[in-house]
Amino acid sequence: MRLINIKIFVTHFVLLMSTIISPLSAFEIENLPVQSEGRIKPLDTFARNHLLRFYGKREVKEHQLKATDWLLDLILDPEKGRDLKIFNIRNPEVVSSLFLDWTTDHKYSYNEIIDGLKNQLDLINAIDQKDNSDRSAFEKQLIELSQNAIIFEELIYMKNIKLIPPGLLDENAVWQSPYDFIISGVTPAYHQEEILNSLQKYLAARFQKNKSEMNSALTSFEKVVSELPMSSLDVKKLKDETWMNEVELFVKSLAFYILSFLLIGISWMVKPTFFRNISYLSLIIGFLIHGYGILLRMQIMGRPPVSTLYESVIFVSFILLLLAVTLEYFRSDGLGVFIGSVGGSILHFVGFSYAADGDTLGMLVAVLDSNFWLATHVTTITIGYGASLVAGFIGHLYLIQNILDPSNSKKLKSIFNNLFGMTLFALFFTLFGTILGGIWADQSWGRFWGWDPKENGALLIVLWQLLMIHSRLAGIVKPPIFALGMALNNIIVALAWFGVNLLQVGLHSYGFDDGVAKNLYLFILFEILFCFGLYYYPKIQSRLQTS
Amino acid sequence: MMINNLDKFLKIIMSPKVFSYTLIWLIILVFFGTIAQKDIGLYASQMKYFSSFYFLFLGFIPLPGGRLVLLLMTVNLFSSMFKRNLWQLKKIGIIIVHLGGLLLLVGGGLTAYFSSEGNMVIAEGETSNYVDDYHNMELAFVNNSLKDSLEYTVVDEALLYEGSRFQIFDEGPEIYIISNIKNVRIENRISPADTIYKGLLEKFVLLPKKPEPENTQNRPALIYKIEGTSNGSDGIYGLFLGQGLNDPFKIKGQIFHSEYRRERTYVPFNIELIDFEKIMHPGTNIAKSFSSDVNLIENDIPRRTLIKMNEPLRHKGYTFFQASFIDDSEIETTVLATVKNYGRLFPYISSIIMSVGLLIHLLVMLPKMVKGKPK
Repeated sequence: MRLINIKIFVTHFVLLMSTIISPLSAFEIENLPVQSEGRIKPLDTFARNHLLRFYGKREVKEHQLKATDWLLDLILDPEKGRDLKIFNIRNPEVVSSLFLDWTTDHKYSYNEIIDGLKNQLDLINAIDQKDNSDRSAFEKQLIELSQNAIIFEELIYMKNIKLIPPGLLDENAVWQSPYDFIISGVTPAYHQEEILNSLQKYLAARFQKNKSEMNSALTSFEKVVSELPMSSLDVKKLKDETWMNEVELFVKSLAFYILSFLLIGISWMVKPTFFRNISYLSLIIGFLIHGYGILLRMQIMGRPPVSTLYESVIFVSFILLLLAVTLEYFRSDGLGVFIGSVGGSILHFVGFSYAADGDTLGMLVAVLDSNFWLATHVTTITIGYGASLVAGFIGHLYLIQNILDPSNSKKLKSIFNNLFGMTLFALFFTLFGTILGGIWADQSWGRFWGWDPKENGALLIVLWQLLMIHSRLAGIVKPPIFALGMALNNIIVALAWFGVNLLQVGLHSYGFDDGVAKNLYLFILFEILFCFGLYYYPKIQSRLQTS
Repeated sequence: MMINNLDKFLKIIMSPKVFSYTLIWLIILVFFGTIAQKDIGLYASQMKYFSSFYFLFLGFIPLPGGRLVLLLMTVNLFSSMFKRNLWQLKKIGIIIVHLGGLLLLVGGGLTAYFSSEGNMVIAEGETSNYVDDYHNMELAFVNNSLKDSLEYTVVDEALLYEGSRFQIFDEGPEIYIISNIKNVRIENRISPADTIYKGLLEKFVLLPKKPEPENTQNRPALIYKIEGTSNGSDGIYGLFLGQGLNDPFKIKGQIFHSEYRRERTYVPFNIELIDFEKIMHPGTNIAKSFSSDVNLIENDIPRRTLIKMNEPLRHKGYTFFQASFIDDSEIETTVLATVKNYGRLFPYISSIIMSVGLLIHLLVMLPKMVKGKPK
C-alpha cells in the first residue's frame, strides 16, 4: 500500500518538475553562449563565477543585483560599476597596504583599490616572480587582488568575454571576445556578424531601457545560435544550466533535509507517528530534488555523475539518502530519517564549501576524460563511500541505543542486523570499486596497483571492513565492538576521500587547501572522542554502580 | 610426532586469527607507508614498506614488510580452503569469493616478481627499440673508431657502487668508481683543476644535492677513474644523466666515450613516431587528449597504429601507454610507458570469479532473507 503511495507521489513530483522547466521558456540574455575555462557555458554562469571571484558570492545581495545584470550594467555604465563595492578583501594587511580603512564588511570598489595597487607595482611584480608555494598569505591575496583588478577592467571592454564562435566552427577552436575580434580586422562570417549585430542591438536597447527592442535582439540571437552546427553548443542545455543556477536545487534539497531533521526531533516529543511521517515525506522530497539536480548536471555535461571532488560529495550524499530512505521504509522507526537528514545536511555543507571555488562544471584532464571508467569505477567507489558512511551512522546509533535502552535487546539486535547488512553492502562496492580502479589504472598507466595514496586509502577501507566482518563471523568481537569499529570506519572514509590529498604525492592529488585539512583533523578528533565515549560510557557507569 | 607437529602448524596457519593479525598489520603498514610517502617519496616508500619482506624500524628493529604479510595472508587463505566444515553446498558462494581473492593475491605475487616497466622516449620522425628503466642506471662505453657502426660495452648498476673496481676489456685499463651521486648539482670551478681531472671535470664540479621525493625527478651522476691506458687518457671523469657533450679518451689506440643513462631493455621490434598530437580544452592549459601516431615495425614491415590515453598498444606481451610528452623544443617527443606483465589478467579473472561467487551466495541466501523481512 505504502509503495503505491510513493509511486503516485513520485509521478506527481516528476510532472511538477517538468512543468517548472518548461522548454518553452524564452531565450534570455543569461543564456548567451560564452566560451570559458574550456567549455561553452551560459553568460549567467560566466557572470556568477566572476562575481564569486571578486565578491565571494554569486549575486550582489545588497543591491538586489543578479550576476548577469551586474556584468551588463558594468559594461554599459563603467563609471558607476567602478564605484560599486565589489572587491571582497579578507586580509587586513592587504587593506592597509592599499591605504584603506578596514571596514566591517571589508568590501571595496575598483576606484578605491586601484591607486593603492598602482603604488605597489614593484612589490606585485616581485611576488609574481615567486612560486605560488613560496608566497605568504598576504602575498597570495595581494597578487590575487591585482589579477582580479585586471580581469575587472577587461570585463568592461568585453576583452575576456569570448562570445564570438570561430569562423570555421571547429569544436576545439578558441572563441574570440568582441574586442579581440574587431581588433583583428578579419572579415566576419555570417554567424559572427549576426552575433555581433544582435549584441550591439541588445546593449543599445538595454541602455535605452527599450524592452521590445531587447526582445527582438534576443530573438535574432537565439536564431543564429541555435542554427550553428556545433555539438558542444545546445541552446536547451544553456537554458537548463541557467535555470539550475537560478533555482539552486541543492540549496532546496538541503532545506528539506533540515526540515526533516527538525520534524523528526519534534516526533520524539509529541505525536511520534504523525511527525515521523511528515518528516519522512520531507526527506523524500529533498531526495528527489537532490537526484534531479544530479541528473540535470549529467545531462548538461554529458558525463556520469562523479568526476570532481565536488561532485563526489554531492553523489555520496545522494547514495546516503537513497540507503537511508530505503532503511526507513523497512524500519519505520525514524532511524533512516535521522541518518538521512543529518548525513545529507552535513554533506551538503561540505559540498557548498567546494562549490565556492568557482565553476562546479569544470573540464577534465585527459586521463579522467573517459565516460566508461567514470561510470564504472568512480561511481562504484562513491557508492561504496556512501554505504560506508551509512554503516558508520548506524554504528553510532547502535552505541547510542546501547546507552539509552540497553535492556531492549530486540531493538539492539535489529539495529545490529542492519549494521552488518550495510557493512556487507559497503564492502561489496568498496572492494569492486577498488579493483575496477586498478583495472582502469592497468588500462591507462600499465599497472594494476602502484601504492599511490588514493589507492592505499581505498584499500584501507576495504581492509578495515574485511577485518570487522571476519572478526565478527569468527566470533572474535561482540556486536558493540563491531559497532564501534564501523563508527570509526567514518574516519578512514574521510581520510581516503579527502585526506590523501594532504600528502600531495602521486597521480591523484587534486583540490586541497589548508581549510579542508583543519576541518578534517577536527572531524577525526571529534569522532575518536565521541565513539570511544559512547562505547565506554555504559561500562564506566556499570562499574560505578557496582562499586 | 612429526605428524603431530605438522598438524599443529597447519592449525595455526589456517586459523582465522592469523588472517585477522595479518590484516591488522597490513592496515598499519598501508597507513604509515602512505604517510611516509610525503617525506621519502612514493618509490622509496613502496620499496621500504610494501615491496619488502622486512624493514628496519628506527634503524634496528626488524618488522615484517608488505611481501611477507601478503605471503602469509595467501598461505592462510589457501590452507583455510581445506577446512572440513567449509565445504558445504550453502557456502559455495563464499568459497568461490575466497578463491577469487586468492587468485588476486597470486596475481599480485606474479606481477611483483615477473613484471618490468619503463619509458620509451621517441622524438617525431625517429625510431626506437628500447625501454628506459624508471630507476636503474647503466654505464655505457662507446667505441667510436669502428667503421659505420658504434660498439657499446655496458656496465650494470650492480657494479656501479662507490669503491667498485672492474675491467671492461681483457688486459684493458681498470675503472674505479669514486662516487655514485643520486641527485647532482653542477657548478663552475672557481680555481683551475688538477691535471688528473679530465673533460667535464676540468671546468665543472659535480656536487650531491638532496634527492627529490619522486625518484624520476633526480639527476644522477657518476665520478670514476680510468687507470692504465698508458696513453695519457688516465684520469678522473664525470658523467651525469642527459649530458650533452662527450669526453673522448683512448684505449688501445681506439677512441671511446662513455654515457651514463637509464638502464635499457631492448624489445624485439621498432616503433617509429610519425606524429604526436595534443589537444587542449579550448582556451585553457588543461589537456583534453594526447595521442601518438606510430609505426610498429617488425621485419621491416610497418603497421600503423594510434596510441591514445586509455587506449594502449599491446604487442608481444608488451603494452605501450601514452604516459607523457616533452615539448621544450620544436620537435615534439612522446613518452610511452612500457610494461611487460605476466600477471595482468589475474585481477580481471578474479574480479569476475568474485562477482559470480557473491551472486551465487545471494541466491542461496535469498529464501532466508525474504523470510526474515519485516512485515
